[in-house]
Amino acid sequence: MKILVVDDFSTMRRIVRNLLVELGFSNTLIQEADDGENALTMLRNNSFDMVVTDWNMPNMTGIDLLRAIRAEPSLKGMPVLMVTAENNRDQIIAAAQAGVNGYIVKPFTAATLQEKLSKIFERLAASGANA
Amino acid sequence: MNAQVSLMAGEAMPQELHDLLNSTDGAAFEQALDVLVRQREQRLFRALGLLARDLHDAVRRLGGDLAQEGVPGSVADARKHLQDVLEMSSQAAHRTLDFAERMRPQADALAANAGAVIDGSAEDDVAYGLARQAQTFANEYREGMADFVVAQSWQDLSGQRIKKVVNFIGSVENSLLELVSLTGALATGEAAAGPVKVTSQDEADRLLSEFGF
Repeated sequence: MKILVVDDFSTMRRIVRNLLVELGFSNTLIQEADDGENALTMLRNNSFDMVVTDWNMPNMTGIDLLRAIRAEPSLKGMPVLMVTAENNRDQIIAAAQAGVNGYIVKPFTAATLQEKLSKIFERLAASGANA
Repeated sequence: MNAQVSLMAGEAMPQELHDLLNSTDGAAFEQALDVLVRQREQRLFRALGLLARDLHDAVRRLGGDLAQEGVPGSVADARKHLQDVLEMSSQAAHRTLDFAERMRPQADALAANAGAVIDGSAEDDVAYGLARQAQTFANEYREGMADFVVAQSWQDLSGQRIKKVVNFIGSVENSLLELVSLTGALATGEAAAGPVKVTSQDEADRLLSEFGF
């Protein structure tokens, strides 16, 4: 399993990485990108199973990354979990409309991350079984 | 004409206006109008000049006041201070995360070893009691460390705000720069040929520092 963690703050990337390990994703290969643009390049060149991204980043924001992923045939099915300090209604709606798989408002707890991750995986498993 | 003249009733009619109204031919009218317009313009420019000088002085004084209050001495300083805070807070958060990452395997090892002791000893054994205690501690410690790690997100949340303030200072700085250039040019009587362009941050800082920013 490969997860890409995207955030312009190295602290937050490390926190998410730590929590993923804590939640048992220890055999997971976790890679990091510091903005949407770099993330998109990494996603195109490697196969990932999931993206955990921040919203506010230079060059390419998380919402633009999400839209770019959904617009690209080879990436459009990629699960995207947004972890962001942006908690206003319009932004949450924009993320939902762009096809986000989960939305976590910072600051968050390990339990919240676990809950959203399991929901994503449950849904993936369900859609995989139906397919 | 009469209507305009009556508007001036009660005031002495300025000589220029008098000349204009009494001009005998086209050339004289043009000339009188020219004189009138030029006088008006000069008065306007003088007023603008005074206004610009006052503004320029006020901008200088503001810069001086900011500098006298000591910290920070300039806009560039202010930005640097904030970037230092960002950097220091990031380092501090990473040091804390170093600690959490170093301790997690130790807690895991303690829990595993305690588990082995628990499995291999009788319940009334002293070692059994101690191992249970160690196992409970290791598990609670791990949970606590997870909270401890999440708590470091203060750095990201406060850092984002600091970045916004740094950007805001940048825009205030640009506005000040334009104001300084404009008022400087006006106050010294130079025609301001559009906003003065500065090409580098150094140039901008230097120009602003001349005004105490």
